[in-house]
Amino acid sequence: MNNSKQVQSMRKVTVFALLLFTFALSTACRYDMQDQPRLKPYKESDFFADGKAMRDLPEGTVARGQLKEDKAFYTGKKENADPNIQVETTTDASGNTLVSSFPNDIEEIPMPVTEEVLDRGEERYKIFCMVCHGPVGSGDGMVVRRGYPQPPTYHDDRLRNAPAGHFFDVMTNGWGKMNSYASMIPVADRWAIVAYIRALQASQNPQGFGNEGGRPATNSNTANEESNTNGTAGNTAGNGGGDQ
Amino acid sequence: MAQLFHRGANNIAKASMVLVIILGGLVFFAYTQISRSSYLTNRYLEKQQPVQFSHKHHVGDDGIDCRYCHTSVETAASAGIPPTQTCMNCHNQLWADTPYLEPVRASYRDNEPILWERVHDLPGYAYFNHSIHVAKGVGCSTCHGQIDEMPAVYQENTLQMEWCLACHKNPEAFIRPKSEIYNMDWRDSDLTADERKSLGEEYRLRSRELLTSCSTCHR
Repeated sequence: MNNSKQVQSMRKVTVFALLLFTFALSTACRYDMQDQPRLKPYKESDFFADGKAMRDLPEGTVARGQLKEDKAFYTGKKENADPNIQVETTTDASGNTLVSSFPNDIEEIPMPVTEEVLDRGEERYKIFCMVCHGPVGSGDGMVVRRGYPQPPTYHDDRLRNAPAGHFFDVMTNGWGKMNSYASMIPVADRWAIVAYIRALQASQNPQGFGNEGGRPATNSNTANEESNTNGTAGNTAGNGGGDQ
Repeated sequence: MAQLFHRGANNIAKASMVLVIILGGLVFFAYTQISRSSYLTNRYLEKQQPVQFSHKHHVGDDGIDCRYCHTSVETAASAGIPPTQTCMNCHNQLWADTPYLEPVRASYRDNEPILWERVHDLPGYAYFNHSIHVAKGVGCSTCHGQIDEMPAVYQENTLQMEWCLACHKNPEAFIRPKSEIYNMDWRDSDLTADERKSLGEEYRLRSRELLTSCSTCHR
């Protein structure tokens, strides 16, 4: 009688201990599956010489459908662009080197500018450009207020008359103190931002919009543009000086 | 031979049965609480980083959009950790010679990545994709909390299955309009229940059965 009671309480203790043990195990063993040997993005790997799990594409890789034959779209340069040509530059009060001739840049945005494109451009502008160039592009963004050298405003005749390809080129390759944004902003988004910059320029210069001197905000009026295209390189510098 | 146990021992035996149940319950309760504790989930744990990057400063004070650095959050599974060049877009001029940022400059100079400590580390058996959550109207702060007020980023939620399921069972309660995804000041109370319902239809949220199916997250 007493014996069996003792055995019973012994059992209780055993069951209780087992339960505790199982709980303890269930916490411990989950880490094996938690940290699986597969490589997560950005993880270190000792397999590759550079220690990175994420691999760069081999140089010269062309993904299917991404041959990028459309030179105007992917570079913003004219078909017969001369790589050795020297652009004319001036220096402004903040020490920025300003381009005043644009011999190689294409005039127009090489894709249809729709309302969706402008909205997309506005959204991307506010993410990537506004921090320095400011909400309307006068070069007073938050980072500039924190002490970054002020970029030139979009709202002078030099940039109002600059071809679309120039803005694309600066985003793609950087200029002055601005780094290249090519890895951060896809090509189509860069053109959308160009379209939005045109809209900003029109918004700050409504009188000049569509006039002889000012350029339209979008490329909707292609026929009119064509006539302006010839000799812009020479004209632009002169216009900028005269109107100021 | 005298009785080994006193008559009152019967009561003790009866009470002990109840006690075992209560004690077992307590142990189980303690187990659930310990599993959910930040000791095991790393919740609220601020990690030491090579450079103590402050989201409070860059997002809260400077107003830089999340996507300026986390460029792939709309298109890929990983939100993207910015390359050092993104830091240098501003810090080639701002604080360009402070010793505090030397690890960043060294990384840029030597073309060596900065070894950030991962804060949000999902278990290997869980599949997660940022882009689909953004596309269906889950805002950054819904999962990551008030990032714009965090000098050092910590994990706002447990990242446990019960937390994932709380939303997958009832996603309408947590979604917001597309335009507010990156808005750190958005509150769930900004939408009425009816607005949420129609927003859910607009997003074409999948059925509760599909959202809580095992293979949705364990694939």
